Order: sequence, then C-alpha cells, then structure tokens
Amino acid sequence: MEVETSSSSAESFIDKAVVPGDIVLDLTSMPNQTIKLGAGLRQEHDMLSVVKAGNLKFKKPNKYWVESSQKRYVPSVEDAVLGIVVDTRADNFLVDIKGPTLAFLPVLAFEGGTRRNIPRFEKGTLLYVRIVKANNCMNPELSCTNATGKAAEFGALKEGYMFDTSTGLARMLLSSPTCPVLEALGRKLSFETAVGLNGRVWVNAASVSNVILVSNAIMRSEFLSSVQQKILVEKLLQRLQNDSPA
Amino acid sequence: MEYVSSLTGFRFDGRRPNEMRQIRGEIGVLAKADGSALFEMGNTKVIAAVFGPREVQNKSQQIDNQALVRCEYSMANFSTGDRARKPKGDRNIISYSADHGSKYINTFDASFSGKNLKQIDIFLQVLQADGGTRSACINAATLALADAGIPMRDIVTSCSAGYLCSTPLLDLNYVEDSAGGPDVTVGLLVKMDKMTLLQVIALMPTFFFFCCCICFVLLFV
Repeated sequence: MEVETSSSSAESFIDKAVVPGDIVLDLTSMPNQTIKLGAGLRQEHDMLSVVKAGNLKFKKPNKYWVESSQKRYVPSVEDAVLGIVVDTRADNFLVDIKGPTLAFLPVLAFEGGTRRNIPRFEKGTLLYVRIVKANNCMNPELSCTNATGKAAEFGALKEGYMFDTSTGLARMLLSSPTCPVLEALGRKLSFETAVGLNGRVWVNAASVSNVILVSNAIMRSEFLSSVQQKILVEKLLQRLQNDSPA
Repeated sequence: MEYVSSLTGFRFDGRRPNEMRQIRGEIGVLAKADGSALFEMGNTKVIAAVFGPREVQNKSQQIDNQALVRCEYSMANFSTGDRARKPKGDRNIISYSADHGSKYINTFDASFSGKNLKQIDIFLQVLQADGGTRSACINAATLALADAGIPMRDIVTSCSAGYLCSTPLLDLNYVEDSAGGPDVTVGLLVKMDKMTLLQVIALMPTFFFFCCCICFVLLFV
C-alpha cells in the first residue's frame, strides 16, 4: 500500500481544509525562523502536524493556526462568553460555559462589588462574562468587569432569547467588518445581540416576531456566503411583511 | 462452496477479491452529541456518538495525567439477520468494548492527556451487521472524534480481510465471514503510517492447538 507523502510546503494548505495527521510544514527547510503556532497545530520533531480538522490560516509574517468549529468550547483567557448560573457558593457562582468543567465567578468580580452588595443570581440566570483564568487542570475563573474594572456591558442579560450555535458561527458573528447577516438585518430592524465565543447567542428586540426572525436568520446563516445571507434575510423580512396585517 | 468463482474470478456480490464495498460517511448526525458520525461499509451501518471532554463521572476511574477514554459498543437487536436478543452482559460485547477503547488512547494528542480531570465517552451502535462491523465502528468513531474537535495525532482507519478458496479477499461481508476462513482486522494511522490494531481470528486444527498447549507447559516447567 502506498502512502503519498504530502509536499511540505505550507502554501499548498493555506485556506484549505485539513484533517488530523496532515503535515503542513517541514521545519528543516527553514532553519532560522520563528513560527508562531495557534490552535489545532502541533510540533513533532521537525514537522508541524494538524490535530484538529478545519481550515488552515496564515497571517504574515509567521502565524499559523487551524480554524475549526465545534459544539464544545475550550475556555481561553480574555474571551467574552455567555454563561448560565448553575449554583451559588459562599465565594463564587458556579457557571456553565459549555466547556469541560464548570467555571467560577467570584461574588466580588463586579464593578463596585463589596461584601454588602453581592448580586443575587437565581439558578438559570444568563450572564455575559469575561474569562480571566483558564488552565487545563483547573476550573476557569470569570469576571463581570473588563480589564480596567468597569462593568462595560458585562452582567446579567434580561429578557430576550438565547440559543446554542457552534463556535465557528459565533466567531463569524463577531468578525469585523460586520457579518453580512447582521448588517442586512440591522438595516431594517432594530435589535440587540450578545454573542459568546462559547457558541451561545442572545437576541432581544421590541417584539417577539422580530426576535424569532433575527434568531432564525442567524441560525441558518452559518454555511452561507455573504450573497446568500443577504438573500436569506430578504426572504425572511418579506414573509414578515406578508404575514403582518396591512 | 465457491466463494470466488473459478470462471470469472468474482465473489458473490460481484466484487473482485481486492475490491472494497462502497463506503459512505456522514458527520453531525446527532444533535445532542458533541460529535457524531454515521458510517456505512456496504450493508454494514454503524453510528458513533462522542461526548467530551467533560468532568469524570466516576472519580474512582480517574487516571492521573491522562484523559479517561470510555468506549461502549452494542449491536442493535435488529442488526443481524434474525432478530436475536443478546443481553448486555454478553462476553463478546464487553471484550469488544475493551478492544475499541484501547485503540483510541494511543491516537490522542499528548498535550491533551495533561488534562487529568477529563473524560471522553465514545458510544458505538451497530444498526446493520453485514460483516466488518469492527472496522466500520473504528472508522465511525474516528469521524465522530474529529467532529467533536478532540485533538488527535492522526486519523485511524480500519478494514478487514480474509482468505477463502486460496485467494486473499478484502473487506469480507457476512457470508464470507462465516465461511470458516481466517479473518484479520487492521487498524492503521494513515499519515503516521503506524498500525494500532492487528487482530486475527482463525480456526486452528485441534492437533496444532495441542502442540501449542504442550509448548506452553514445557516453557513454565
């Protein structure tokens, strides 16, 4: 049985789909360079191999990473995520962020938080939080303030509707320039969204039908190109106009 | 019985001895599982579901410095020709589970194994059994693990082969499998070109079996 040895030139793999085991770079051919590896890549002696299926990305001058999309989230520092309160302890809230373990949110990690004004979160409260510490052997730690200590929109999200998506769709919604589906919706409707990098999205609008429309548009736009996303939004908006009484 | 036609060289299902059955794979088939895959090799159909990494459910099974990989394998009642009721405690099923589990531990990323709090569950269910179920299970589980985004050093692939009518045959179906010839299943890491599983099941003549037993006894005496 012959096994094809793939060419070790990285150019052939950039922006293409890769699977675990693919060797994307042969380091012996570039002796004195520093290369930065992101998610999904692993160095084995002189070869760079892929460990997660996805698209290989490259940013000049020397950053390589694999963009993949999963249902499960791997916590990393400085990510803004949507968590659901599961339990309350003396020092922490236990929050589920769709990761391997529950995360801890200290009761004092709020703007102007002291022992006297600890917020009361019921089981099931949706929170927009920031990850402060994330190691693979400890539970992640969260905070409801930004790096300077201000609240900056973090905290409990009231009303609205939350749904689960993959991590890839969440990254697409947060990309700049604005994702086409959000731009097309924003031209006709007014709504607010909170996107967590852990694959949770929260939508709120004045009327329930608008919330449903925005949620459906987002959920269906994951694998569409920008033109297809605009067409999808137009179709949904037309249906809304036809259904509502003239 | 003529498993390979002497006239045309074809097998029962019209394949040549070195031809595989048609394969078909689909990922993301289960909404609730972190990763899932449906894999078909000819008529053999297997569905795999992966849950993880998540907290270890049973603390007593926790291993230091390694993720715990659990694998459960079962055949649906309707998967074989007759709707046979095999109880879950069947020894065959338990040994298969131990086999399947051990194959995957070696393919996991070494950096991942530093997470000593994590558990990965692989569930395999055979929906239709027409020979080569072990291979189809390995292939389905690989796809499901990749779908779940669990870091892996390489893809594990598997196929079975046999030897009937003096011809090596690739990818046996149920009729050829139950013909009484040897049956070998190979698990291969594709890009790394390493074998993780080599399993042969064959009928040994009684005389040969006695010789082996005598040798073992003489070794230890």
